[in-house]
Amino acid sequence: MAVDTTKNAVPFEMAQIPGPEMAKAYNTAVIGAIVKKAKRPLLVVGAELFEDPVMFDKAIEIGKTGVPIAATAHSIKGFVERGYTDNVTMIGLHPLTNYLRFKDWQGLDGKGQYDVVIFMGIFYKFASAMFSALKNFNRDIKRVSIDRYYHVNADMTFGNLAFDPEKYHEAIDEVIAKLAA
Amino acid sequence: MDKMEGSFSVEDMQNVQINIGAVVKEVEEWDQPMGPFPYPSIATLRDWDFKLINRYRVFYSPICDRCTLCTYGPCDLTGDKRGACGIDQAAQQGRIVLLAVLMGCTAHCAHGRHLYHWTLEKFGDLPFKMGDEILVDAPLTRTITGTKPKTLKEFGPVLGYVEEQVAQLLACTHTGQEGNYRDFESKALHAGMLDSLGKEVSDMIQIIAYDMPRGDEDAPLVECGMGTLDKNKAILITYGHNLAGSAEAMFYAEDNKLWDKVDIGGVCCTAIDNTRIGEGLGYPEEIQTKYRMVGTKAKIAGAMGWWRKMVEANVMDCVMVDEQCVYTNALEECQEKKVPLIATNEKIMLGLPDRTNDPVDEIVDDLVNFRMPGVAIIDPIKAGEVGVRTAIAVKPKRADERKKAFITEEEFKKYAESCTYCHSCQFVCPPHIKIGDVVQEAAKGNLEPLSSTYEICVGCRRCEQACPQDIPILSLYAYANQEYIKNQKFKMRAGRGPVKDTEIRRVGAPLVLGTIPGVIAIIGCANYPNGTKECYDIAREFVDRGFIVTTTGCMAMDMSLYTDEDGKTIWEQFPGGFDGRNICNIGSCVSNAHIHGAAIKVATIFAGRNERANYDDIADYILSKVGACGVAWGAMSQKAASIATGFNRLGVPAVVQPHSVMYRRAFLGRTDKKEDWEIIDARDGSRVYCEPAPEHMLYVAESVEECMLMMAKLCFRPSDNSQGRMIKLTHYCDISMKYFGCMPPDWPIYVRHASDLPLKWKEDMMKELESKYGWEIDWKRKAILSGPIRKSDVSFDPTNIERKIRVKK
Ligand code: SF4
Ligand code: SF4
Ligand code: SF4
Repeated sequence: MAVDTTKNAVPFEMAQIPGPEMAKAYNTAVIGAIVKKAKRPLLVVGAELFEDPVMFDKAIEIGKTGVPIAATAHSIKGFVERGYTDNVTMIGLHPLTNYLRFKDWQGLDGKGQYDVVIFMGIFYKFASAMFSALKNFNRDIKRVSIDRYYHVNADMTFGNLAFDPEKYHEAIDEVIAKLAA
Repeated sequence: MDKMEGSFSVEDMQNVQINIGAVVKEVEEWDQPMGPFPYPSIATLRDWDFKLINRYRVFYSPICDRCTLCTYGPCDLTGDKRGACGIDQAAQQGRIVLLAVLMGCTAHCAHGRHLYHWTLEKFGDLPFKMGDEILVDAPLTRTITGTKPKTLKEFGPVLGYVEEQVAQLLACTHTGQEGNYRDFESKALHAGMLDSLGKEVSDMIQIIAYDMPRGDEDAPLVECGMGTLDKNKAILITYGHNLAGSAEAMFYAEDNKLWDKVDIGGVCCTAIDNTRIGEGLGYPEEIQTKYRMVGTKAKIAGAMGWWRKMVEANVMDCVMVDEQCVYTNALEECQEKKVPLIATNEKIMLGLPDRTNDPVDEIVDDLVNFRMPGVAIIDPIKAGEVGVRTAIAVKPKRADERKKAFITEEEFKKYAESCTYCHSCQFVCPPHIKIGDVVQEAAKGNLEPLSSTYEICVGCRRCEQACPQDIPILSLYAYANQEYIKNQKFKMRAGRGPVKDTEIRRVGAPLVLGTIPGVIAIIGCANYPNGTKECYDIAREFVDRGFIVTTTGCMAMDMSLYTDEDGKTIWEQFPGGFDGRNICNIGSCVSNAHIHGAAIKVATIFAGRNERANYDDIADYILSKVGACGVAWGAMSQKAASIATGFNRLGVPAVVQPHSVMYRRAFLGRTDKKEDWEIIDARDGSRVYCEPAPEHMLYVAESVEECMLMMAKLCFRPSDNSQGRMIKLTHYCDISMKYFGCMPPDWPIYVRHASDLPLKWKEDMMKELESKYGWEIDWKRKAILSGPIRKSDVSFDPTNIERKIRVKK
């Protein structure tokens, strides 16, 4: 039975109600398919991975399916420690989002702007605001959250799974399986 | 300048007309010629602002996609939609940013205005003298207005100027006024500059009137922490930013020899300013003769984030609030604990009866007998007397309250056990404390999580409001931390005030050459993402590395709560000068202005630039040559927004904590756009591509590790020489290795010459430059032949302002 990631679709910080356009919660199959279909996906991870270190391994598994990783805050350390830095780039979330909002940016590898960004393990309020920047100023990029929070400013998100780490891990594994298939 | 007659127009600025009746007199007494922009109007410095925002792109992250400001609304502005009035999302964000910056700016400036009237009334006009070691005495006032006040009263026109500009700027936010985000940002930068000026005036007035230290690196160590409040005495808490009433309470205690009966503890910036009184040069005479060193008798109860924890710990008998950053339900919280509250400033009256004109005895009697929960008294002298007398008289009547300071063991258990682990609290906790888990552990008898997260809790009470079981979570915290509260006793250096000219002379060259790696300004409020300890960690990291570390406000107080292995606070570990391996507490929030002032003084005293009415020139110098970076790791109020924006206009970047996305706007550089980093070589006017330094102006960091790395990085400047580059690169790379486990990917952009490379990595770095980046290396001479963005050039004179070009090519 797949994890139902569409439940609890309320903003993690409850007063975070931006306006008429709010994210929809999807199941892992749909989110996995969207990421898999992407031509230029980018996984963006943050310092919250340190609070649940197994998530570094899961990020690496995603990286191994060919999705490049932007390691924001000091999260690069987790990848260095695991000896996986192949397609991992250290960059702050703020400058990264600033680049993402410009259509002419050529990406971390110089090969062009991304079409899908996937956020995971980032301080909730910060991630939410960065999704909002893209939602308002570069609508060409699809905003996907596979974090443990319902992310109101994403296009596609899970519902809140913050208080059920096991289910959350399972959901991520399902996404990985979809990507690796 | 010599044909002044009533008014003149400034070169290149035909629309600037200045009435110079007062100015002519100035010129005779001040040998510096009037610069181009005295009393700049809201668009005077727009060219400079556009230079900044062309390089540091305005980045918005809307918190709300809607606008609800006029009757057309609500309008949905998401994406490329426009409001009925025609405004787009970017301009709307700019409008909100301008409003926030104006709120902050007016808070500081109105604070100054209040002190101006009050001190003139109390002391009369006083000479503005900062002592022999501070001759450039009000750097922001000189740079912005072109005037040089010689008495307190002469700051009046400066405040008048700020107030007029604020009115003009606020008008721009009305529907159907400004409609372009870049112009909103130019206006916000103007408001930020006005904020810095308002702060300078406020602090200069109080330094003079209350004889506070004038650049004293040996300012006394004062007591800090809830545990320093003596429970054997009555405890009067004075909370806010404006010391007028609080100072009178201290004077009353001194005049009536009541210090053995009352302890006066400050919360927020009033705490810092209380402890500065009477520690200066010895004038005015009234302070010198009657209240010398009285500041050392007051205590710093704590920063703003501790307020509700103090309420829960029941460490107060009476409270006086003044202005700014006061929790607006302070009255209700005090009433619940039977703590009478006195509102002492017109800005915060909390619905209380105005008793300013009633006899003191009657007011005290009403408060002591709890006939009313609080009163407003707008006369500082009367408020101070009522505060002290009420605290003393109410103490015995609060004996029961004092006894049941904390909930009982049974209550604690009952509450903890009533938790249903519903997680509602966790949905609302700003620093993401897993309160459900913490309370569950408490129910099992494990209080450790309540202890270890006590300093992380910002005391917002959002969890309590969300809890369906009505668990008083802050009471649980207080119960579990009784010992800590009792022992929260530390030392903190009293605010020293401005940086001395002599200190600037000593550090000017090393700063501009980069051999002192930078000036770090640790400032602002107490909404930390991960607790107070990070204040200490940031300060220690940079003091240890030889940066000049300055502090003000709540962060200064919160870093005092930690000691080294010898039990010494940071103030006891390091001297208080403006120098490497020192830490200087400049003072309260308004004292921030002296950090701007220090940067200005590097340009004037060290580099000999004229500051007079010459804002953009000075800002350009600082942006290009003075490695400085502000950090507000607990940025909370709109004042933090105005402070950062004021730093930015002066060319000083700032790093803020992740909740600061609530400010909605950042200034971020694009290193992939070469044209953004073109700079003028003032020697011949040629335009050259320079490395992105500093790369950003306003930056939100996600973790303290990222914050520290960014602070080190934002201290690079185009003017750094080889030795300076090597030192800055060493710290930048070293912090990265320490907290990130690898080198920062962009280190090569700061390298111009092989001697810029840190010795400990030199060989490896050269190899990497060759193999990974394709630089040409002469291995025999250990020299870099090609690759760097710029070649090393000791006389390179970077500027962004055309009029600084010396000889046109
Ligand atoms: S000010 Fe403009 S955007 Fe705002 S509600 Fe009115 S019409 Fe709409
Ligand atoms: S009071 Fe403390 S624990 Fe409760 S929500 Fe606020 S920060 Fe979190
Ligand atoms: S909201 Fe109250 S009942 Fe629910 S987990 Fe938090 S403390 Fe427990």
